Amino acid sequence: MKNYDLITPEGTKDYLFEECIVIRNVENTLVELFRSCGYSEMLTTGLEFYDVFNLNSRYFPQENLYKLTDSKGRLLVMRPDTTMPIARVVATRLRDAMLPLRLFYNQTVYRTEPALKGRSDEIVQTGIELIGSQLKMAELEVISTAVTALKSFGMEFSLEIGNIGIFKELVGRLEVTDKVKERIRRLIETKNFPALNDLLDSLGSNSVTYALKKLPALFGGEEVFEKAEEIMPDEKIKKLLDELREIYNDTDELCGSDGVITVDLGLVNKTDYYTGLIIKGYLQGHGEEVLSGGRYDKLISEFGYDVPAVGFAVNVNAVAKLIEKNGIIPAMPRVDAVVYAEEGFEVAAIKAAQSLREQGLVVENALFSDIATVRHYAIEKKIPKVVVINSEVTE
Amino acid sequence: MNKPIRIALTKGRLEKDTVGLFEKLGFDCTAVHEKGRKLILPIPDGNMEVVLAKANDVITYVEHGVCDMGVVGKDTIMEMKGKFFELVDLGFGRCKFALATKKGYDFYSGYGVKTIATKYPNVSRHFFEKKGMDTEIIKIEGSVELAPLLELADGIVDIVETGTTLKENGLEVIEDVAPISARLIANTVSLKFRKAEIDRLITLIEENL
Repeated sequence: MKNYDLITPEGTKDYLFEECIVIRNVENTLVELFRSCGYSEMLTTGLEFYDVFNLNSRYFPQENLYKLTDSKGRLLVMRPDTTMPIARVVATRLRDAMLPLRLFYNQTVYRTEPALKGRSDEIVQTGIELIGSQLKMAELEVISTAVTALKSFGMEFSLEIGNIGIFKELVGRLEVTDKVKERIRRLIETKNFPALNDLLDSLGSNSVTYALKKLPALFGGEEVFEKAEEIMPDEKIKKLLDELREIYNDTDELCGSDGVITVDLGLVNKTDYYTGLIIKGYLQGHGEEVLSGGRYDKLISEFGYDVPAVGFAVNVNAVAKLIEKNGIIPAMPRVDAVVYAEEGFEVAAIKAAQSLREQGLVVENALFSDIATVRHYAIEKKIPKVVVINSEVTE
Repeated sequence: MNKPIRIALTKGRLEKDTVGLFEKLGFDCTAVHEKGRKLILPIPDGNMEVVLAKANDVITYVEHGVCDMGVVGKDTIMEMKGKFFELVDLGFGRCKFALATKKGYDFYSGYGVKTIATKYPNVSRHFFEKKGMDTEIIKIEGSVELAPLLELADGIVDIVETGTTLKENGLEVIEDVAPISARLIANTVSLKFRKAEIDRLITLIEENL
């Protein structure tokens, strides 16, 4: 039998020293930011019943979940996402809480990614959920917090917004099966213009198919709205577009000087439980979004409590990796002194080390039996001070 | 932004066709012609850089964003999947995926589970899944045509260009699976960060197809 006792599973890795400092710095910056906006932390369970992620709308394909069973044989999963567990808690224990609820989380999620593709199955997500408000103000709060978060990483960034409601309204006006709708969605998502045109042409030529064909090309800055305005077939959809435009203009006014704010009407991801606003944050140098979120007004009602919500999450590992790649590596905390006890003075040495630590120094106990080795160790580890404790205290 | 746009090309025929297209657009591809053993080659007047890679790797590099764009066959895209934008059908490298069997063999008869030999297990699985048909799929690395001749498989799913190899071995296409041609793909973040440059290139390409 082969033992796998020296390696970690595909898609996972151990983080050491500087890597941990970078990850914790990113987490702490975000946590402080969220706290300063009045958000409170939630820790949800690492193991959940599969049913939590297998609602009517099936947001998570079962092949992407880590599954196991409990002692009664019921199907469990390793949490693949935190938004749905939070929706579960809001619909149960927080049902009677005063709204709005401002919640944040900082925890690991698990998904099976294709093997040998350089992707992680285990990532830390830090994010917020603002629950109980349908107001534009709630969306602006979440967007501006997202921009502040991106800005705090100290790299060139861009924040993109969209509204999946526009796609859902448009496709809802076509008399086609859900399968065809899904094919249209997939082609818009991948900006596959040739195949999208072929498919829509086969469904007839009208203002709806025309608008759907143009949707994936409608990304960029303010000019997108001018172009989109002309092709939206009716007032209901135009209203969604106007709302998005207002949010875009407000966001640009708020944050336009910090980074690039863009819009993409072709943001129509599948695993999204989003119903309206979509947010994505990009950092120069990382091939995928590092921040994503949006409005999900129907999700919590699937758990039996009808309340609107909006939020986002940051992929902490992706940000940390990019910070390391850019060489912004923080210094390891240095050790200021090592305390060596001569035989019989161990208690005194530990006390001395404690009192030095109270003065704010980083102090190690020497674990060698002779002073020469201690001095050699201090030189190797660049520890500036060796304290020797014997009958007469010396330094 | 001064960093050149990095484009991964599938080595071989698609590389030649793409370089031909670039030259038609007026880009100086001398470095690509005189590449020697180099794998990253500049096209200075287009502010572009060409990377030569195997088809599957083109997708991997573009997905990770280490290449901004790529040229790869639809066959590889269908087999590999992945997260990127598929922007333009370049029109060259045309062929098709097809299901072929020994001449005169009645593939769809009976209730036995059929065995398929292929280099493209995902494409094959998906094709028969859509029909609601259980099949046994065997991955073959070399000449797939051998498998039905040696009676390992009932049929093959493979790329067919002219059909000559099939004919010479007594096989025939019984059904088309999907058309194939070269596609221009882009990383999802690159397209956003470098919209103006990529837009300009795409417009130029579309005008010259």
